[in-house]
Amino acid sequence: MSIESQEKVIDALVNEFPGSISDVKIPRLNRAFVTVEKDSLKDTVRYLKDKQGFTYITTITAVELPDNYEVVYHLRNNGFNLNIKVKLQKNNTVIPSITDILNGAVLYEREVNDLMGIYPEGHPNPSRLILAYDWPEGVYPLRKEWTIQELRERVDGERWGRDE
Amino acid sequence: MTERGGEEMSERQFIIPIGPQHPALKEPESFYFTVDGEVIVDVEPRIGYNHRGIEKAMESRTYIQNLYIVERVCGICSNAHQTAYTGAVEEVAGIEIPERAKYIRVLMHELERIHSHLLWLGVAAHEIGFDTLFYYVWRDRELVMDLLEEISGNRVNYAMATIGGVRRDINKDNFTRWNKVLDTLAERTNYYIRVASTEKTILDRAVGVGYLSKSDMIRLSGCGPNARSSGVPCDIRAISPYLLYDEIPFEHIYVDNGDVLGQVLVRVLETLEATKICKWVLKNIPEGEIATKFNPMSKVPEGEAVYLVEAQRGELIHYTISNGSNMPYRHKIRAPTLANIPSLVERLKGGYIADIPIVLAGIDPCFSCTDRMVFYDEGKDKSWSWNEEQLRRYSLEWHEK
Repeated sequence: MSIESQEKVIDALVNEFPGSISDVKIPRLNRAFVTVEKDSLKDTVRYLKDKQGFTYITTITAVELPDNYEVVYHLRNNGFNLNIKVKLQKNNTVIPSITDILNGAVLYEREVNDLMGIYPEGHPNPSRLILAYDWPEGVYPLRKEWTIQELRERVDGERWGRDE
Repeated sequence: MTERGGEEMSERQFIIPIGPQHPALKEPESFYFTVDGEVIVDVEPRIGYNHRGIEKAMESRTYIQNLYIVERVCGICSNAHQTAYTGAVEEVAGIEIPERAKYIRVLMHELERIHSHLLWLGVAAHEIGFDTLFYYVWRDRELVMDLLEEISGNRVNYAMATIGGVRRDINKDNFTRWNKVLDTLAERTNYYIRVASTEKTILDRAVGVGYLSKSDMIRLSGCGPNARSSGVPCDIRAISPYLLYDEIPFEHIYVDNGDVLGQVLVRVLETLEATKICKWVLKNIPEGEIATKFNPMSKVPEGEAVYLVEAQRGELIHYTISNGSNMPYRHKIRAPTLANIPSLVERLKGGYIADIPIVLAGIDPCFSCTDRMVFYDEGKDKSWSWNEEQLRRYSLEWHEK
């Protein structure tokens, strides 16, 4: 696949969902980044899977930016890696689950829920995957509000019943 | 009647929890097997027992300090992690590494693949009770281990890559000898290819075991030799080349068996290709610098990069975000075993308890050590526990019947 044909794929995507796709970046061959509105995430993923052959999901990354959260879906069609970013408000960390479209996302969405507290709405089993069973509720370690020192005090203190 | 996951279980079914204590496994996992007699009906994985918070730790260390953390994500694919990490950081920082460094990185990458695939073949042979093969393979694996030690000074955690190049040079006086070692490895691998495709002990235990079709594999986003054994062409080296892989002539290996035999074949054939790539590197390596300077305290410009690498177990992704400081703002790692768990679960369903060890070992999660498992019979309120050795023996005896 040449970089021109990959640009065409992105153009087609932008034309399919006018107004909901922004920040298109194609830094080099086989890489592209786009930002998608949360409401059209599922339609975008479904379109990419059915019409453009992006059947493989590499992983999902959650990032805490100063003003909002960003969830990045790393999709791949053969060698072409397309990264779809969705921005979330800090006070509304629920995102529609895409596991029904791409079954491979089933564990990644649970991981994101565990570590960054971004809840996949509609996930078949959004239970804990990575953190220990006795990890305190509401403590999402990858959030910037938690330093490693604070995490250690909070979690070890609770787990072993030590005094604060 | 017991309720599990909202669905009612019949009285014939009971649950076998397996794991999570697997000291040698990079991602220790626990599996709840729902079995109906000998047949596995459902599998539920639970991971995270060895969650060390590496992504969080990387956010508070400089790019050079992180090299050492990244290498310790996993002992077997330490070099693959470093290759992906340095690649991602260099892409953000805009650093071009010298040609010679690329050759040395490829050499280490492929030597590591040889050692990992041979290790896996030995483990798989052990799981199916073919210990002669296990000893043969691990004896031959020492050849490549010695080579790795000679080049890097270490048998694991080679610490070869650094941001901007590699840390140690290789001496061309040794090339003739190394070529001979690689020839021996290729010859032995050819022998194993013959053994794997004709030996009755392997065929009896591997053909049709843990079968998964190509469409299911694509649906579940499996990667690496696990996916290539089901006929999915997904070798990152071939479909999205990094380092020198667009220049290197090598065969993209995939077979459509879909079972454990397919996994064996993919790995032995890839080992052979890897020896050829190493020989190509030794033949074509140019003279020159091995690293460009990168100041340990220097800042990396704002930006982000995704770097994909074909580690031994499959596609490895490192995604780094820089905010212009000397530490990554966020660094995401996804190791191949996580991607292979959904397809592993499908592979296990419908199989027998006796085939659990080989199907689990099939995706290469280093499941070889002293696994301890507890069997709990829901109906009879009776529990017993088996360790890995006992389960393996049970599986061997069951297959002898």
